[in-house]
Order: sequence, then C-alpha cells, then structure tokens
Amino acid sequence: MDFDFSSLLAFIMFGLTIGVVYGIVALGISLIYSGLDIVHFAHGEVYMFGAFFGLVFSSQMGLPYPLALLAAMISIGLLGIVIERVFYRRLTRSGGGYTVAGMGMIICGFGMSVVLQNIAFLIWGADAEPFPVDLGPALEVGDITLPRSYGLTAIIAVVLMAALHLFLKKTRTGLAVRAVAANKDIAFLMGINVPLMISVIFGLACALAAAAGTLIGPMQSVQVEMGYLMLMKAFAAAVVGGFGSLPGAIIGGLLVGIFENLGAAYISPNHKDIYAFLLLILVLMIRPSGLFGVEVRVKA
Amino acid sequence: MKPHARRLIAGGIVAGVLGALASTALAADIRVGITMRMISENGQKYGQMVMDEIGMINEAGGINGNMIQATLLNDECKSDKGVANANKLIFQEKVHLLIGSTCSSVTLPIVDVTAKAEVPQIIPHSTNEKITKKGSAWVFRVPVSGRYYAGVNAKYVGENIGKRIAYICAADAASQNDCEAMQAQMNSQHGAEAVYVAQVQEKEVDFRTHMQKIKSAGVDGIMIAALAETMARALVQSYEAGIGEEVRRIGSSSASNSPVPAIAGDAAKGVFFAAAYAAADTRPIARLFNEMVRSRYGIHAPDHDFSQAYDLVRIVEIALNRASLSLEDGDLAADRTAIRDAIASVKGYRGLGSGEISFCADPTPQCRDGNRTAVLIAYSKGGEDYVTEVLARVTMPEDFGL
Amino acid sequence: MFRDPPGGCVSAGAGGVGGPAGVMLKVSGLETGYGRVRILRGVDLEVGAGQIVALLGGNGTGKSTLLRAVSGLLPTWEGSIEFDGETIHRLRPDQIVRRGLVQVTQGKDSYPAMTVEENLMLGAHIRAGRREIADDLERIYGFFPRLRERRSQMSGTLSGGEVQMLVIGRGLMARPRLIMLDEPSAALAPKVVLDIFVAINRIRDTGVTVLIVEQNVRMALLLAEYGYIIRDGLILMEGEAKGLLADPNVKSSFLGGSVAGSEDELVH
Repeated sequence: MDFDFSSLLAFIMFGLTIGVVYGIVALGISLIYSGLDIVHFAHGEVYMFGAFFGLVFSSQMGLPYPLALLAAMISIGLLGIVIERVFYRRLTRSGGGYTVAGMGMIICGFGMSVVLQNIAFLIWGADAEPFPVDLGPALEVGDITLPRSYGLTAIIAVVLMAALHLFLKKTRTGLAVRAVAANKDIAFLMGINVPLMISVIFGLACALAAAAGTLIGPMQSVQVEMGYLMLMKAFAAAVVGGFGSLPGAIIGGLLVGIFENLGAAYISPNHKDIYAFLLLILVLMIRPSGLFGVEVRVKA
Repeated sequence: MKPHARRLIAGGIVAGVLGALASTALAADIRVGITMRMISENGQKYGQMVMDEIGMINEAGGINGNMIQATLLNDECKSDKGVANANKLIFQEKVHLLIGSTCSSVTLPIVDVTAKAEVPQIIPHSTNEKITKKGSAWVFRVPVSGRYYAGVNAKYVGENIGKRIAYICAADAASQNDCEAMQAQMNSQHGAEAVYVAQVQEKEVDFRTHMQKIKSAGVDGIMIAALAETMARALVQSYEAGIGEEVRRIGSSSASNSPVPAIAGDAAKGVFFAAAYAAADTRPIARLFNEMVRSRYGIHAPDHDFSQAYDLVRIVEIALNRASLSLEDGDLAADRTAIRDAIASVKGYRGLGSGEISFCADPTPQCRDGNRTAVLIAYSKGGEDYVTEVLARVTMPEDFGL
Repeated sequence: MFRDPPGGCVSAGAGGVGGPAGVMLKVSGLETGYGRVRILRGVDLEVGAGQIVALLGGNGTGKSTLLRAVSGLLPTWEGSIEFDGETIHRLRPDQIVRRGLVQVTQGKDSYPAMTVEENLMLGAHIRAGRREIADDLERIYGFFPRLRERRSQMSGTLSGGEVQMLVIGRGLMARPRLIMLDEPSAALAPKVVLDIFVAINRIRDTGVTVLIVEQNVRMALLLAEYGYIIRDGLILMEGEAKGLLADPNVKSSFLGGSVAGSEDELVH
C-alpha cells in the first residue's frame, strides 16, 4: 500500500501506547529478576489479575478510572507480597539465601501461573469482560483518530515510570531497594532489612503489572488468558533492553511496541506477534546482553 | 462477572452421568459420549441443555425401553483435549455415538479418530468445510457448513454493500475457513479481490494497525472472521480507529455468540452475519424455544449454538429410535453401524432455526452437511440486552461451493 | 601461647583482654560453615572495648567465615556470639548492624554501579536525622579527601585504595561501636596500605573498637594490641601483639613467608 505520513504517525502512536505497557510489565520482571534472582513466569497472570481488579474497582464499585487504577495497584501489590512471603520465600531460601534454586524456582513460577489462572477462572469465568471507560470523544489529529484512553495510557505510564525512577534514585528506601537488588549480603551489612526490601520489590513489580492490566483493559477487554501474550511480549522487551536493566525494560517495551506495529503495517500484516521476536533475535545477534545490559551477570 | 454463580471447574471433568439413575437395570444403556467447549458461560449452558434434553428422553421412557447414558466432557476448545476426550469416550467408555465438538479446530482431528474407530459422530457446532470433505462415512454435521455461509454472505455483501472488502482472519479453523470461503465467493460471484487481508492470532488483542490501514485504504465493508471475543475486540477497535458506521462490519458465524454484543457493546450495532438461527425469529416455534432457554438457563436470547444443540438431540432421538440395537457387549460394532445408518436415514427434519436438515448415506459433503439454510442476521442493538433482526433466510443447493 | 588444636584449653594471655565489663565482643565455641561443610570448629575470641584486635591467618583458614558468622550472614551451628553482653547469633544481620556491630567487607564489595556518595549514604541507612548524617558525611570526606573529589563518580571507577577508603567510610557512616575490617590491605600497593592503616588507627582514636582480619601479619600486629592466629577453623595462637611479633613460631613456621614478603615490600 502507498505510504502516507499520517498513517506512519498513527502506527508509531499505536506502538508507543502498547509499548509503554509492555515496558511497565517488563520493568516488573526486571525488578524481580534483580531483586529476587528469579525469572517470574507468573507475571502475566499478575497482570491479568490487575486487569480484573481494575475492572471490579471501576465498573462494579464505580470508582473513577484513575482511582480504580491506584486501588488495583495497591491491592495487587499486597497480594504479590503475600505470594512472595508464603510461596516464593521458602524456595528462594532453600537455595541458600536469595539465589536461584535451579529449576525449582522456574517450575514454581509456572505452577503459580497455572494456579492464578484457575483461581481467576473460578471467580470470573472464561468469558472476556468488557471494560468500558468513558473518557469523552476521541481526538482527531489530521487523518488519525486517537481515543483519549491511548493518551491517558501514555501519560499514566510515564508518570509511573517517573515515580519509580524518583523512588529509586531519591529516597532512602529506593536506595536500599537498589542495594538489595545489586548485592544482598552487602545490603544486610548496611543494616538493610533485606527480606522486607524483597517484599517491597515484589510488591512493586506486581503493582506495576496491575497498572498495566488496568491500562490495557479498556483497549482489549479483560480475559483470564490475557496474561500469556503479555508475558511473552514483556519478556521480549526485557531481553531486548537487557535483562535486569530498568531503563532497558522501558526502552525495550517501546521498541517492541513500535517495531511490531511498523512490521504489521509495512512488512506484512500477518501474524504481527512474530515481529517482537524478530526484533529480539536481531538485538541479541548484535548485542547478546541486550541494548542496556552492561554485563552478563552470572547468577549462582 | 454476571451475577450467576460460576460452577465451572477447569479441565476435562465429567459433568454428569444421567439416565442410569432413572431406570432399572433390566434394559441395557445406549452410551453417548459428548465433548464440547464448556468454558464460556454459553458453552456451559448449552452443554447442560444437551444433558437435560437427554434426561427428559429417559424420563419419558427412553429409547425403545433403553436408557441413554450420556457422558459430557469439556475440551475447552483445545484440539489435544478434544482428541483425548474422544479416545477416552470411544475406547474406555465404549460409547455407541459421539457428539462433538464445538470448535472446528477440535472437531477436525476428532473426525479422523471416529473414522478409524468406526464410531458415528454427530457435530453440533463446527462449520469448517473440511470436516465433511474428509470423506468419513461416520460423520454428520447438524450446523450449516462454512461454504453455505460464505455464499449467502457474499451474495448479500456484493449486492447491498459493495465490493471493496477488507478481511481480518483469526487463526482458528472455523474463522480461517469463513475468511477464505468468503474471499473465494466474493471473487467468483462478483469478481472482487480482497482490499486488505490480515491473518491474526486466535486470541489477538491489538488490531489498531490493521484498522488504520483499512481506514486509509477506504473500504465498503470489513469482514472479521474470528471467535466471539476476538471479534468483539476487533469491532471496538475498528470504531476507535475512526472507521465510521457507513463501512459495514461483517462477522463470521461466531458473531452469533452472545459475547460479541456483550463485549463489543455499541460497536456490535449494524454487524451482520450468517448463522443457523436467529433469536429474532418470530415464528411460534422459535419464540417457544427462546422462552424455554430463557427460563431454564437465564440466557437473554439463545444463539445458534443452542438451537443446533437442541436440533442435534432431536435428530439423535429420531435416529436411535429407528436403529435396531442389541446393546450386548459383543455387538458394539454392529450397534455403532446401525446408529450411523439410522442418522443417515434422517430426512426432512424441520430444524428450529431455518430449513430442513437431511442426511444421506454417501460419505460426501452433499450428504453430510445436513443443514443448508443460512439466516442473515444483523445486530440492531449491542450490549448484554442485545437485539437482532433477520435480514434474509436462504437455502443453498447441496453442492454449492464444492 | 599455643593452643591444642582439638577442644583446646583457653589460656587468655595476661592482660590481653580486660575483665567482663571491658569485653565488647565475645565468641565462644563457634562452629559454622557452608552447606554441610564445617569451616569453624569451635572458635573462642574476645575483643575488648576500645582495642584494636587482629585476627590473622592465610587463605581459607576461616577468617572471613568468622566475620560472616558474627555479622549474622552465616548461621551459628554451635556456640554463641555475644555483643555487649547480648546474645546476637540468632539475630538477622540488619538487626546486628543496628546494635552497632558493623562489618566492612573488602573493597571489591562496594556497589560499583552507585556513586561514591550513594555508597556512603547506604552506610547511614539505619540512622535517622538528616543533619547528623550530613555532618558525618563531611567528616568522612575530611578523613578521606579523595572521596570528596570523586563523590559523584560511580564507585566502580575508583582505584583499589580509594574503594577501600570508601567501604571503610561507608562502615563508619553507620556510627559503629565495633567495626570489623576484612582484609583492608588486600591487593593494595604498600604506600596505600600504610595510608589505610594510619586511618584505622585514627578510627580507634575516635573511640571505635576495631577487629581487623588480615593476611598482612606484620602490619596488623604493629597496629593491634592483641592478636589471634587462626588455622583450619581453630584459634592456633593468641596473645599480645608485641609478643606475637617477636614469637619465632609466628615468623618461621606458618606465616614466615608472608611476613618476609611484606617486609621486603616495605623496605623497597
């Protein structure tokens, strides 16, 4: 099809709006990876729970959308802390401190994913649920139509990232979180309550996933199986950006989002999901540690 | 999140074993195995309806004094589970007849299982053309084949909407078939080439790039061939992209399923599709059926999944009554053959939705695609309390689209 | 002054450690290790308030294991650890730090991806009071002016001596009452080692008790009042630093090479 500039802008906008959401989920995955030394395979389901919680707070309890988002973040954050304390902590401990307990942790993540999916299934059933949010009429920019929800998604995502950045860089707890992520023994010797910080990290990562779910809900409706695809994309984003790197996760998310939309628009409209993984392969061929992966950290 | 309590448990679980309870053990049981998609609220309820209807046959004295013992398994619309269920029902439960499945992707591989095991299979919901083209002598289709739907849709679209059509085709077997057949029909009936075709995942969530492309290409209509929830998302996003109502949205036959208007809301308005049954049907029999489903299962308006499941049970009842069965363990193969031949002898059954359903003995699509009457339906209102209207009812010739 | 390797009868050297009131850290019969491997096989050690005590031994003798156990990073299998009369070996490491017992690890254990100032602020994590922390930061910069110059650099870019100053400064930011230094001279040039040891001496002069773990036996004994020599997870010898320095067994039998090496380096 012929090229026109406003369509290109639209494709980039679509890529950005979905990309920031990939980025937020990837951010959580990276946080957990550096904080707990585990690759959290159940994060897609946490995202799905977040979407349902957002829907419950917004549609059923009638909270305004931003408040529903906040409520979903807080409740899923707390839920995440419970999951970490009750289930993951035993495993991370048995590995000798908070290190990878081999396959056990990976399987535990997959198991948690199945459990969470089935719980959601029992509560909400398999049917997709619409998540109506009325933010007023869409904006017409030239030939492009942009629903306000897209803009709101981008704004909220940027606010969340900025808040996380400030928290990590400017607050004492944030500094402690970074210390725990980098080296737990030394963090202990600084007098940091490492188990508490690990809960904070996990809760934060889950709250971010909940935000992503609540942001995506109005765009894509909410369904028990929605977590899988998001997990795949967020992993792609995290690896593209460099696993464990927080700025990398965001940039990776944006790149995956834009790349897949441009691919679908200009290469072939079919099976758009492969572009995310095409990008992944391309980046890994050029930079095996990802774009922002400073070093290959050996986790043992 | 509807107020109904969901009693569903994941995985393939025997939903109920009826029949044997009601009768004495003097007569032997006719064993019927059912595998269907029981994951959505609808799926659960039409599964329940099949079981209830069989229960009522038993209460009324059964089939020539024999009870039907029905085993219902959930395949979750997953082909591996469907095949496992079919094997279990055929080789473990030793069923005389297999009913299933809902999704074309699941039914297709099961056709091979029943053909090899020589077990009659009667299909409640799958539309993919290949199901009957495989040439199995053991398969019967109650719903309308995709080839008829495509013919009806293409005729209506070409004559009333236009020839510039964009297609969004999801990866499941039914949607792929609907999409391809529609393009072929648009070409052969009107000489129209597809303006834009996008293959998407079965559960695709983001259609915005496609919609933007379609918008800038300028089309008369968009065909969205996908399972209900995916279709609903695509419909919503088509409006978000700013494609106005003057561009008609054409659904594949799953547009008939209630999640489409429920999730798509206002975006469902104006969507039209071909299906086997319209709840808007004003004939007394249809109104009675609507009322029955509404009161028994709390479904606002039954879609064709309900009507087809109901028709299927009636056809099974007719066939079983006609077949002479010994029901001895040693005569399993003979009984299965007798049931197959009895189903093949059903002719002129007056279906709930539309025209007559007839089968015959040849293992060809002409004989085994029993229902040739498609109803063109449009949503005149979306949402949970959606409203449909019937645009047309068309019976196609047997070998149409072959 | 020798102890019998198994069990061992404690013979506290005359005047080594003061009475119970003066004992700040008391390790008794400590056994611990990694996984199932036992590294410490019953260690007794005391550090008196206001002293510098040196724990000496070669690689793999259990020096660092002892520090990790005292800090709470390793569980105590047998025996006990008391700090200021309180049993601490069941506490979490951060709780131990809050009691004023701070371990300073080797320089390579700074946070390389954080700035010098962030590293120092981490040291003050347990403290409240912005003002006092800011004052202490200034004091540390006064102590180690090089750190002030590099305050906003990533600590990964510092030289070996600078990063050692950083981790010591970071430990001091916690306002410890007892600071445990793990091989502050490791892999440093002799001139730098001297600077570090001068700094340690000044730390003691501010009233902080010091337990220093070293391979550089000569330097450590010149600095310390009292010394323990550890080998194979047991305290082999202990005594006044002067006595140990003069002891021919210390020189020749198992630490001789190391001492001689250091002397050579110091001479040149």
